[in-house]
Amino acid sequence: MTHPNLELQLDAYLDGELAEAERSELESHLAQCPECTRFLDSRLALRSAITARIPALRAPDTLRQRVRSLQRRARMPVVWRSLAVAASLAVVAFGGWQLGFRQGVGETGETLAAEVITSHIRSLMPGHLTDVQSSDQHTVKPWFNGKLDYSPPVNDFAGRGYPLLGGRLEYVDGRSVSALVYGRRQHIINVLLWPSERGAAGAATQTRQGYHALHWVTPDYTYWVVSDLGLAELREFEQLLQQADSAATPR
Amino acid sequence: MEFAAVVLPHLDAAYTLARYLTHNDADAQDVVQDAALRALKYFGGFRGTTAPDGRAWFLAIVRNTAYTWRHRQQGDAPVSEFNEELHSDHVAPTDPAAAMDLGQAIDALPLEFREVIVLRELEGLSYKEISDVTGVPVGTVMSRLSRARKRLQEALT
Repeated sequence: MTHPNLELQLDAYLDGELAEAERSELESHLAQCPECTRFLDSRLALRSAITARIPALRAPDTLRQRVRSLQRRARMPVVWRSLAVAASLAVVAFGGWQLGFRQGVGETGETLAAEVITSHIRSLMPGHLTDVQSSDQHTVKPWFNGKLDYSPPVNDFAGRGYPLLGGRLEYVDGRSVSALVYGRRQHIINVLLWPSERGAAGAATQTRQGYHALHWVTPDYTYWVVSDLGLAELREFEQLLQQADSAATPR
Repeated sequence: MEFAAVVLPHLDAAYTLARYLTHNDADAQDVVQDAALRALKYFGGFRGTTAPDGRAWFLAIVRNTAYTWRHRQQGDAPVSEFNEELHSDHVAPTDPAAAMDLGQAIDALPLEFREVIVLRELEGLSYKEISDVTGVPVGTVMSRLSRARKRLQEALT
């Protein structure tokens, strides 16, 4: 690419640092510029590689204890305790604002999309991806027994290039839900699903900071699928899930 | 108690940054402990900042402590001429050969590139927070990040 400034813009786009106007302008440009799209893909590949291959470091317990012992020397007024609480609330508010959506399916859907994308990003942090790590659906499904008030359908699509990697519990929309984790090359796909409300309907696709969130509702389950995978492949994966769901449910 | 509530949640991030800046577990621990002492001493300063939490504030102290440490390691030689090979206790990767390559590529980055990569990719700080931690303008953060990523991509191919 011959425009270093454009590369900075693309990086800022990837990092969710562009202002609204710049972002739409860049997205229009991306739609017609294969070179910039390739650049962005290569950056996403780098990010996936870092996520997958660079282990998280944890402060050794001895260090933790040494730092904790320092506090005994501290003589802090109580007012700072409330400051810390106020600060953490500010972080929550700020984070929520950052992930807010403009376009979409109404306020509830937007909040939920932000929630599932946040949960996806959190899951990519080292050590957060799976509570039960297995490519065997007969290991993953029973793991949820007693942890949820439903038994989520678990399928392995390894034969189609989307191997099951495991599962974990998530807290979304005010309830505990199952998260199933699938892989596609370097990419991670999170599938969050829980029993549908009676009469619920709707479908949506949202994109934010390079992550796509697909949403649909079947008579049994509300589905959210999140990944940084390309939209075409993610749609293919959506088809697989929908076929598996309708195959499992007598109509 | 209050000091711990601000600093302890960020201890992993502090250790990670120190580890990548010093290339060495023992030195990283010393740097973080030293930084925590400084943080304790200047805790009142945190009250005066507009930072939404203590992370960027504490990481800035860790970074400055690490720079001071490096400076001390090599007498009065400029920080930018730090000899990487003296401190090449590489952060151990979990598995494949590729992990070694990427980890080594990060370790081999010049200091000012390495710190923005660690703060952005491993710790998820915003450009503004990275600017606060490193004390360089956001524009400089952006260009360093871009160049650092380019180097890592070259190392990967």
